[in-house]
Amino acid sequence: MSSANETPAPAPERFGRTFALRIALWYATLFVLGSIAIIFLTYYLTSASLAQRDRQIINAKLGEYASAYSRGGIDGLAATVRAEQSTAPERLFVRVVDRGAEAIVLSNPEGWDPSTLETGSLRLLDGTLVVVGKSTEAREDLLARFRAALGLVTLLIVVIALTGGVVVTRSATQPIRRLTEAFRRVIRTGRVDARAAVAVEAGSNDALDELTTLFNAMLEKIEGLVTAMRGALDNVSHDLRTPLTRLRGTAEMALAGAPDLDRYREALADCVEESDRVLVMLNTLMDISEAESGTMQLQREPVQLADVVDRAVALYREVADAKGVALTVPAGATSPAATMVNGDRTRLEQVAANLIDNAIKYTPAGGRVEVATTEADGRAVIRVTDTGAGIPAEELPRIWERLFRGDRSRTERGLGLGLSLVKAIAEAHGGTVHVRSEPGRGSDFEVRLPHITPM
Amino acid sequence: MRALVVEDDATIADFVARGLREASFAVDEAADGEAGLAAAREQPYDVAIVDLMLPKRDGLSLIEALRSGGVTTPVLILSARRSVDDRVRGLQAGGDDYLTKPFAFAELLARVRALVRRASRSPEPTSLSFHGLVLDLLSRRVTRDGAPIDLRPREFALLEYLLRNPGRVVSKTMILSHVWEYNFDPQTNIVDVLVSRLREKIDKPFEQKLLHTVRGVGYVLRE
Repeated sequence: MSSANETPAPAPERFGRTFALRIALWYATLFVLGSIAIIFLTYYLTSASLAQRDRQIINAKLGEYASAYSRGGIDGLAATVRAEQSTAPERLFVRVVDRGAEAIVLSNPEGWDPSTLETGSLRLLDGTLVVVGKSTEAREDLLARFRAALGLVTLLIVVIALTGGVVVTRSATQPIRRLTEAFRRVIRTGRVDARAAVAVEAGSNDALDELTTLFNAMLEKIEGLVTAMRGALDNVSHDLRTPLTRLRGTAEMALAGAPDLDRYREALADCVEESDRVLVMLNTLMDISEAESGTMQLQREPVQLADVVDRAVALYREVADAKGVALTVPAGATSPAATMVNGDRTRLEQVAANLIDNAIKYTPAGGRVEVATTEADGRAVIRVTDTGAGIPAEELPRIWERLFRGDRSRTERGLGLGLSLVKAIAEAHGGTVHVRSEPGRGSDFEVRLPHITPM
Repeated sequence: MRALVVEDDATIADFVARGLREASFAVDEAADGEAGLAAAREQPYDVAIVDLMLPKRDGLSLIEALRSGGVTTPVLILSARRSVDDRVRGLQAGGDDYLTKPFAFAELLARVRALVRRASRSPEPTSLSFHGLVLDLLSRRVTRDGAPIDLRPREFALLEYLLRNPGRVVSKTMILSHVWEYNFDPQTNIVDVLVSRLREKIDKPFEQKLLHTVRGVGYVLRE
């Protein structure tokens, strides 16, 4: 019991946690990866465009020098370079190599380090090579600062992604955690009156809220069934006590007395009859409980109420004759279609039989019991009218109660369950029961059922 | 006639076996599903009475195993459950009839005999008789010691049922289901009324009474 109850309990909680964590991690990872990709792209484009700008400057210079050279030869070129060296804000490195591979360094020979220079070269018509270099130091510096800034931004993004992920998934899985909590409460306590809270904000009608609502509806249904079954069990155990007491008492009295075969036979026969009564009572009580709680299995089919009534009347024909009660079925004035119902044939026969049984019981010799099928308010009706004792007005509302027996009925045999069963079965079929009675003149019982029009 | 009773409740197994022996069956008992299956496979029984809730192997699986092994012994299922579903499941598994606990032994015996009769297909008689009481099934006439007796249809049906089970007690429930084809007990004195009318006609004018009441159990035709 304990292992069955407690082992599964932590699982949903862990599930809730890891589920939220997993969602948060996924979200953060994707967010960070996306951001890093954007940052890398930005950095790459920036550095590429800086390098391109340098190369454009170098190429422009090379063109300038080439034209200076073609105009004034090596001296003209030297003059141009020197003039620029003194005016230009950023000094360029220039080197000229003639055909004899003799380097004629024209500027800053001491700073000539190809590894830190962006260089471009042009071979002139006479074979002289002009090389222009531009320091990448400033560019590298800029990029370094850019990288630092980007690093900081990346860090910030990671932090935002993680917190955001946790916050978002926490609120998104909130209904799940509420459900989990409610489930655990139900499992732990066995009480089904727990309910999971549903978010009430307008427009939050999402899948999880629907799940929560369904969960609550399910609990509601289970609670109803459990309550009904508990009630039924209480009733049954209570109602069986009296006949069981009789049973036990009969056997005990026989055993306590002097040994006597006839007396034993009598007591044993009483016991058998009493246990048959207990069995019928148990079955009837179960039927009533099942019908009332909606768990009765009805073998529904199209049933003609007139057939049901005919069979029930045939069952009671001899009893009525023996008692001198006229049991009649008046010729039907209603069309057969109006008395077709979708129901359980056996159960409906039970309804008719119980009503007829009841009517014959309380109708004295010379009286009349009439069983009719008719139509009223668009419903199919079984009506049993008798000219019997009738029911006092104060007892009328109680005759449908289980085991209620009016003053008059105490002298008759029976369990006091017949009319309760009639009501329960009628209601399980979506029908209603009605009674009118006038003491001394007779009663009029009606069972109204929803009818179907046959194909 | 050989019968196998597979029932784990010793008291029930005991009274069923005893009752069947009194009705001149040779009875073997098995207390669990495996033992029952082994016995039913080993010997040709005329009928088997199988409880559904059994240790080791439940009744349904026992019946399925028997049927898949080609054993055609008629099986009467005993069960404490009364829902229609259980009945259907039992019959689908290969059971031939179904009886809900608690039951009257008279009813169990009648069902067992019906199963055996169905399996052996003895020819249908055209008339039934018992100690001078003769019921002609074709002309639907009844006589006792030659004197005609006028019976109404229900009375005829009741007498026919009693004559088909001479010397055996039939319960009110059995009469209800055979004479009226009603399978629930309306808890009324219908059967008493019909029996006393029949008694009035077949017994009252005669010295020897044939139709007897066994209090608490039912009715029986005997000397």
